[in-house]
Amino acid sequence: METFIVKRDGKKEAFSIEKIKSAIRKAFLSVGSFATDEVITNILCRVNITSGVTVEDIQNQVEIALMSERYYAVAKAYMIYRQKHLEDREVRDKLEFLMEYCNAQNAASGSKYDANANVENKNLATLIGELPKSNFIRLNRRMLTDRIKDIYGKEVSDRYIDLLNNHFIYKNDETSLANYCASITMYPWLISGTASIGGNSKAPTNLKSFCGGFINMVFMVSSMLSGACATPEFLMYMNYFIGLEFGDDYYLDTDRIVDLSKKQRTLDKVITDYFEQIVYSINQPTGARNFQAVFWNISYYDSYYFNSLFENFLFPNGSKPHWESLNWLQKRFMKWFNRERTKTILTFPVETMALLSENGDAKDKEYGDFTAEMYAEGHSFFTYMSDNADSLSSCCRLRNEITDNGFSYTLGAGGVSTGSKSVLTINLNRCIQDSARKGKHYLFFLEEVVDLVHKVQAAYNENLKYMQEKGMLPLFDAGYINMSRQYLTIGVNGLVEAAESLGIEITDNPRYEEFVQQVLGLIEYYNKKYRTKDMMFNCEMIPAENVGVKHAKWDKRDGFRVNRDCYNSYFYIVEDESLNIIDKFRLHGRKYIEHLTGGSALHMNLDEHLSKEQYKQLLRVAVQEGCNYFTFNIPNTVCNACGHIDKHNLRECPICKSHDLDYLTRIIGYMKRVSNFSESRQIEAAQRHYATVSEL
Amino acid sequence: MKLRNVIMLQYLNYNIVFQEVPGEVTLAINLSNCPNRCKGCHSPFLQENKGDVLDEAVIKALLAKYGEAITCICFMGGDADPQMVGQLCSYIKSYTNGQVKTAWYSGKQKLPDGFDVMQLNYLKLGPYVESLGGLDSPDTNQRFYVIVRGELMDQSIFFQKKKGFPSGILLQDSCN
Repeated sequence: METFIVKRDGKKEAFSIEKIKSAIRKAFLSVGSFATDEVITNILCRVNITSGVTVEDIQNQVEIALMSERYYAVAKAYMIYRQKHLEDREVRDKLEFLMEYCNAQNAASGSKYDANANVENKNLATLIGELPKSNFIRLNRRMLTDRIKDIYGKEVSDRYIDLLNNHFIYKNDETSLANYCASITMYPWLISGTASIGGNSKAPTNLKSFCGGFINMVFMVSSMLSGACATPEFLMYMNYFIGLEFGDDYYLDTDRIVDLSKKQRTLDKVITDYFEQIVYSINQPTGARNFQAVFWNISYYDSYYFNSLFENFLFPNGSKPHWESLNWLQKRFMKWFNRERTKTILTFPVETMALLSENGDAKDKEYGDFTAEMYAEGHSFFTYMSDNADSLSSCCRLRNEITDNGFSYTLGAGGVSTGSKSVLTINLNRCIQDSARKGKHYLFFLEEVVDLVHKVQAAYNENLKYMQEKGMLPLFDAGYINMSRQYLTIGVNGLVEAAESLGIEITDNPRYEEFVQQVLGLIEYYNKKYRTKDMMFNCEMIPAENVGVKHAKWDKRDGFRVNRDCYNSYFYIVEDESLNIIDKFRLHGRKYIEHLTGGSALHMNLDEHLSKEQYKQLLRVAVQEGCNYFTFNIPNTVCNACGHIDKHNLRECPICKSHDLDYLTRIIGYMKRVSNFSESRQIEAAQRHYATVSEL
Repeated sequence: MKLRNVIMLQYLNYNIVFQEVPGEVTLAINLSNCPNRCKGCHSPFLQENKGDVLDEAVIKALLAKYGEAITCICFMGGDADPQMVGQLCSYIKSYTNGQVKTAWYSGKQKLPDGFDVMQLNYLKLGPYVESLGGLDSPDTNQRFYVIVRGELMDQSIFFQKKKGFPSGILLQDSCN
């Protein structure tokens, strides 16, 4: 029988003794020596070839044989030769990736490691961002495992890598060195400009310097985060500066001419021009972020939330925030932004409306009405509703408990500062199906995994503290972000799929409820167990645009039951047409989200817009069901032929009648063209079920 | 008795809908056994004699599940037993204390004699005529009424106005 060896690319080839002999001869020649047949035979006597042996293994054996025969200089030359080839292969692989990226359909398909990049087009700058990603993954892993070894020992560290490599868990944003996302307090910037975070701009003194400085500040902060930067005080601060210039009652007459140039702009025009400057600038691709736009979030508040968050707040001049004018400014911004979005595709800011609820409805009637009105006008934003202003969602999905509504003269409002340091996700479907395969109860294995991810996150926290000690994290030092108010996040993915594998029906029923409570309750139990003075944990159902596709692919490959190409980010099966809109609110209601301390966002996909009255009723439904964070998602149409943007979900462009259309839909909370998704995500978007609003 | 059993109301399924009854969050119940046989009917499966019996017990169960969340129940069809439709509407009104409104999509040209229109808040009349189209067609023969103090107010225009909104300003003035 012929002997085969396995090459590096996995292909088989007939074994050839001549190739080994030739390599040995070359190694001898390279040190100015010559290998006689006898020498070669002695070396080869020590090499054991069986069918199926790998090239790597043969070369290892040759190395040892050379040393055993005491040809040390030759062995060294041989090793250096091998290392050089290894490096060549790495360069070749990178080159291959580079070519593939250039040929890919768009930036997201080309991306190998983080397919959800919020990048519109592929180009040299985005490619530059892609190339070092694999190195970052190695570096991040090494830093983390070294720390785990230090704290918990090698066994835990090895187990982490084992679970990671076998896709039981997934480390999010491993391609970046920065901590994840943050909702910042802008007070330190208001007092001292950007100097404390390494910039050179002074504190803003007027509306113009506020608007310009704000853009720079958001760029700077974002460059030190791998995820979103939320500025929940943006409009409140802007309102302060408008008030300084035009009086707190400026909103009572915005039609007056305040611009004495030839343009003769009204106050309203001056304000909306600033909106334009800020929003368009921040939506630009950013050089420092590999041509990604920064991920920017803002918040709106009803009067109750406003009071609760800012009742003790004082601006540097000693004045309090002015609600009546802010009320006007919030509405003006929202209306302006909605209209602007029919002119250009504007992804950011992601907006969240915070409403307090009481007796099954919005407590602030004016804001409940306004929220419904904006949805009816086709605006796309999130609503956070709570019966107690003790929590807030200021990030795209992150919910935080407000433990401190106080005011500090150096840090401003306490309630707005939060974020997630790092996300580590558990693939529930694999964990639970694998336990079943091995004939064990899933809770035993799950508990081991949950315990381990907490240890890993604790180790990450130590690394972050180390970075801070070395002065690497000015956002923390300057007080924009507070280390002890940031969470370590345990993500979950494949929850619905795991329940399906146990034969549980995915509807509002006691068995499903029990399963969800049990799994998420276990995580919450460990969140509390591992909590310390400077370490808080939360749990969130991660938006699965990227990870959900990967998990589904890996699990399918390894023979697990996989019912769809992208694991759900919801408590229901997205394509299940038997569930109506109210059922979906119920499945994202209090019984199911109770232990999701980090939140989850219900994206209610509809195929058309509803009326204001209907949205008002759905806000009541959300309150009744205890669904605290949601948005309505109606695909907007973009005509590729004439550029027309329409808030409706259309099959034909109403302007030029073209059928070359694209659709804007939400992805992790922000609007994006469907054709900019990675290929697998486009398939998912096409399959995404938009609830029919009509039976007609 | 026997006759009633044959023509009792049967329903195939239900859904939460938004366009059939303007401004309401509606639980639409699709009734089968439709006698009208309109040419080009968009849901011919509703002509078949199948589904489950729809009676007060079923309505009660649906209200227990969705009563707080919806603002209206709409009977889609039911021309085989209009009396029963009226009876169920009356039941809904008294059971929810008027909180949940009632609507009926009938395929007949006019209401049957003796039907108490006070049991309804909304009513659609008229068979589907392929050449004229449904309520959203400009040539439609179908009418949509809002019932105010026993009077039928024709609001069919609402279904026409929905078309052709300028983008960005949607449904602003049309639904309140």
